[in-house]
Amino acid sequence: MLYRIYMSVDRADFIRQINTEGVTVGSWTIKSHTIWGWLTALPVLLLYILIAIIPISFAIYASFHNVLLLNPQWQFVGFQNYFEIINLPTFWGSLRRGVVYMVGSTILQTIIGVWMALVINRITFGRKILSAMIFAAYLIPTIIVALLARYALDPFIGVIPPLLGQLGVWNPNDYLLGTPDLAMPIVILVSTWKFSVFITIIVVAQLRSVPAQFYESAKICGATQWEMFRDITFPRIKGAILVAVFLRSIFMFNKFDIIWQLTAGGPGDATQTLPILAYREAFIAGFFGRANAIAFVMFLFLLMGGIGYFKFFNPSQEVETEI
Amino acid sequence: MSSEKPTEDLDIAPNRLVPFKQQAAIYKAGLYISASIIAFVMGLPIYWMFQSSLRTRASIQSGITQFFPTMSTFTIERYTILFNPVVRTYIVNSVIVTVGTVLLVVVISLISGYGLARFDYRFKVNFARILLTGYMFSAIVIGLPLFLIWKRVGLVNNPLGLILALSAGAMPFCVWVMWKYIQTIPSSLEESAWMAGASRWRGFVDIVLPQCAPGLIAVALFSFAIAWGDFTYAQILMPAQEAQTFPVGILRLINQGYATTWGDILAAGFFMSIPPLIFAYFLQSYLLKGFELR
Repeated sequence: MLYRIYMSVDRADFIRQINTEGVTVGSWTIKSHTIWGWLTALPVLLLYILIAIIPISFAIYASFHNVLLLNPQWQFVGFQNYFEIINLPTFWGSLRRGVVYMVGSTILQTIIGVWMALVINRITFGRKILSAMIFAAYLIPTIIVALLARYALDPFIGVIPPLLGQLGVWNPNDYLLGTPDLAMPIVILVSTWKFSVFITIIVVAQLRSVPAQFYESAKICGATQWEMFRDITFPRIKGAILVAVFLRSIFMFNKFDIIWQLTAGGPGDATQTLPILAYREAFIAGFFGRANAIAFVMFLFLLMGGIGYFKFFNPSQEVETEI
Repeated sequence: MSSEKPTEDLDIAPNRLVPFKQQAAIYKAGLYISASIIAFVMGLPIYWMFQSSLRTRASIQSGITQFFPTMSTFTIERYTILFNPVVRTYIVNSVIVTVGTVLLVVVISLISGYGLARFDYRFKVNFARILLTGYMFSAIVIGLPLFLIWKRVGLVNNPLGLILALSAGAMPFCVWVMWKYIQTIPSSLEESAWMAGASRWRGFVDIVLPQCAPGLIAVALFSFAIAWGDFTYAQILMPAQEAQTFPVGILRLINQGYATTWGDILAAGFFMSIPPLIFAYFLQSYLLKGFELR
């Protein structure tokens, strides 16, 4: 039908019609804005289908099979992979450690991130260089941060063990990242160094939109710094902090790289979280079906978080204000 | 917002516990003490990497803490690791993947951002919502099944496979930035161009494109950070040694442990930190621009 319309008018006319009014097929009209709008959205949608929808569907499919890399013939096993991971003692331990890691590092990041944001927002002397030092943590690859931490903590050549030895709190010959009780706190601290800046950037961007007159008039009325923070600054950045905390929690729950680089989940499984477990199941144990089952369980956690995000923060409102 | 001069002697609230002037002094002291702590904690590791990379192998292995290399321990020999063919392959791979990701993300987010800002289409709000779900993409959740898919399609160890995965991760944020940025450009400018006979494409190229340069820099910077620092996707999707990017490759080198020493690793690490350090200093306002969510 479209073809007949195409043939009935001359070509240039048709294109002009699409560009200005849209296409009418019978009683059905597509506005030109709709055509062009969806055409511009198409690349992103294709990328999303390719990199999100297909892999996640594939993960669900694979999680019901016994997948061996060298054997292209997959064996259908039903829910067996899910039963196996639920019965895996390391699964529940990894989940628990993942929650500890997520909560611990998110709390630290939030406190330090907001503190850094307030400082670079108010400082006048050396502001640019201080901001650069903080933002560098965001841009420098995680691997470099992790390697620096391992270098500094090295019992033979590192700078931190002798320092702790002098203070008498630690035997300098022991490897801190190799100590089950200390590995997780250290991984959390190193993660905080790397990722606090995410919260700082969001909060600083928000703080820049607070008009300076607010502070001036508050000062004339005799407000203290604390009162100004409580009544002017904090209400303005509260929403941004909530969004940042939510995003950080999700990212930290899924964090693979920094843990893998620092300890690879060790010693034993002292720092093994769900992403590490999934990776180990896939590429060290060779159970791809099981690893995909874990990935899908993690996706369900994410989905719950995402639904909570839409419920509590209603980002669509932000979207609507933009239109 | 930055000029924090205490307002003369307007001490209107004398019933305060601490007088106004002292308060200002305490506040100022707290601010600059905080700043020094931050500068120390954030700056020292970078400096330490730099100074360690300039020392001889023996002085690093001795384990003696030195704050700067002395005449006898100074050398730039460590940087010869950059000419090591294996390490050079890693760096080249990282550059290819980063450039590819940045280009792809910039082009796609520019197109979609323009569409969101200028066309009033059906389900536009739904599209924006779907975009936000992109924050939920987790490298490990996507990466494991993607590895099996890429294996069938033949994109494992291919930079294109990694570029596509990284671009999808950067996309939600970047499309949003472009959308908001193009909204700040008055559409009347374009309309007057159309009146003068320009097509939509001409109007886009001549009017929108030059004006959205700051937004484009923000998008490029953000996707750079994602691609340059990516480890998880590269670890899963690029298992072959000649395809590995720097983060994965350097970790393999240090875990193997025999051929390379800490000094070499730190020299390579500092080399890879130079672009981030330069961007953090010169492009920091663009980084903030990207995060102005509302």
